[in-house]
Amino acid sequence: MSRGDDEAAVGSGTVRVMVVDDHPIWRDAAARTLSEAGYSVVATAGSGAQALRVAAATRPDVVLLDLNLPDLPGAQVTRQLLAAQPGLRVLILSASGERQDVLDAVTAGASGYLLKSAEPSELTAAVHSTAAGRAVFTPGLAGLVLGEYRRLAQSGTSGQGGQGGGSPVGPRAPQLTERETEVLRLVATGLTYPQIAQRLSLSPRTVQNHVQNTLSKLQLHNKAQLVRYALERGVKLD
Amino acid sequence: MWRVVAVFRVITLGYVALLILRSSSHLAHPAGGLIALAFMVGWTLLTVAAFSRPSGRQPWLIVTDLAVSVGLVLSTRLIDTTARINSGAPTIPGIWACSAVLACAVAGGPWVGLAGGVAVSAADLAERDAFLPQSTFTNIVIVLIAGGVGGYVVRLGMQTEAAVDRAARAEAAVAERDRIARGIHDSVLQVLALVSSRGRMLGGEAAELGKLAAEQENALRALVSATTTEPDAETGQIDVRGLIEPLANARITVACPATPVLLPAAAARAVGGAARAAVDNIHRHAGDRAHGWVLVEDEGTVIRVSVRDDGPGFANHRLTDAAAAGRLGVSQSIVGRMRDVGGTATVTSAPGQGTEVDVRVPR
Repeated sequence: MSRGDDEAAVGSGTVRVMVVDDHPIWRDAAARTLSEAGYSVVATAGSGAQALRVAAATRPDVVLLDLNLPDLPGAQVTRQLLAAQPGLRVLILSASGERQDVLDAVTAGASGYLLKSAEPSELTAAVHSTAAGRAVFTPGLAGLVLGEYRRLAQSGTSGQGGQGGGSPVGPRAPQLTERETEVLRLVATGLTYPQIAQRLSLSPRTVQNHVQNTLSKLQLHNKAQLVRYALERGVKLD
Repeated sequence: MWRVVAVFRVITLGYVALLILRSSSHLAHPAGGLIALAFMVGWTLLTVAAFSRPSGRQPWLIVTDLAVSVGLVLSTRLIDTTARINSGAPTIPGIWACSAVLACAVAGGPWVGLAGGVAVSAADLAERDAFLPQSTFTNIVIVLIAGGVGGYVVRLGMQTEAAVDRAARAEAAVAERDRIARGIHDSVLQVLALVSSRGRMLGGEAAELGKLAAEQENALRALVSATTTEPDAETGQIDVRGLIEPLANARITVACPATPVLLPAAAARAVGGAARAAVDNIHRHAGDRAHGWVLVEDEGTVIRVSVRDDGPGFANHRLTDAAAAGRLGVSQSIVGRMRDVGGTATVTSAPGQGTEVDVRVPR
């Protein structure tokens, strides 16, 4: 994977952002913060269905997505946005931080997650990272991802055969390397990437890549599960 | 319940028909017996059909039903011979009369049932010449019991059904309220998050407001996502997350898996207590600006909780000083708690590196 290319792309033009939130005060505040920080807010939407329609027309680079939309679950909006526009990045924002919802959205392909109480500077930094193709991890998300790998490993060994049920032959549960586990644990206990790099004698870039990989593997596994689920039921894939 | 009455009525009709046909040669008026039987067949069909629908269960029909039974009991005098009656022969409707009593009980409860029983019994007594053979007495007791106890049981059943119905409705109401509350909580969280983040940016008094909003935001988020801390009724296990989540506040971040982290109650409480002691320690010793992070992990055979802060920390070799500062006591209490449930705890720190507490307990 060449993340350097993504960086270059960000540097070359204004990042186009869409803000999706059913709460107008928050939507407007986030849009204003991002505009002031030099981002181009090309659209806003108040529901999942509207977001899908507007995204198709405006082709944003980054979608700032509230998890609790009135019509569709965040994970589904994420999946459909990415299916329609694979280069898009989705950054999840949530007020309540419902764990399973956050995890679902991230495994569905979102690049990161931020609590709404984050400061405006954190928000702009997160959008910057997301646009550059970097995962945005909070300690909470690192804890969720660690837990999800363990859950997958356990459900694999106890022969439950994943969500599809029935046949035990499916995509093998993804595993974390020792180093990735170490890095995630440090993220989950509040260390910043430079601090982790210092502690493990790695470059911050390497730390970032490890974190990124943990997410990519989960998302790939999730996709494989969905494809398998669809094939088992004879759904035609396009 | 009405189906029970109908089944009872049909079965007793068969029994009574058998009795009448077998003894018809001994009756004073065999034709009268057959007419009475034919009438009972007709009445049974009519009432079974009428009582099968709620609209057919009219008080007047139930009273008429009882009157028919009473009339048939009294008609015994016209149909049967006095000698047979006084020697304890069954009445013409016999046990069939009980079905009217049961209908009263089902419709009106124990007292109405008892009243029906008394009416049929009185007819039974009136029909005999103040002579009370054993079998008649037994019949009367059975009829009264059918009316009274039957009515009572039916009432009880209906009350239970109503209670279950009420509980189901209450549950539905709570679920609905929860659903609405989630929406409201989400809106309130949005506003609090906005106030806290904007307030901190503006500084001054607004920052104070922002801080207050952040505290409330954390409290509400903890409430919304609250995991139960009660042991599971079947396994006696507790979800450790429920004990550790409440430690989160503006300065303490808690990271957990999305799925339950189960431990036997004693071990779970020990882990929760150790984590709380470690977090209290951060509040007390790590300074006002320090932040803390708690990570809960389920490693399959081991449950692991890590608590880290970014406070000034202390040198591990200066444990005497630490003891003076009250830290040794805390770390000892954490280690002690874990040892009690077969787990381990380590406390590491270095000046400028914060403090880390690592707690593990085997599952």
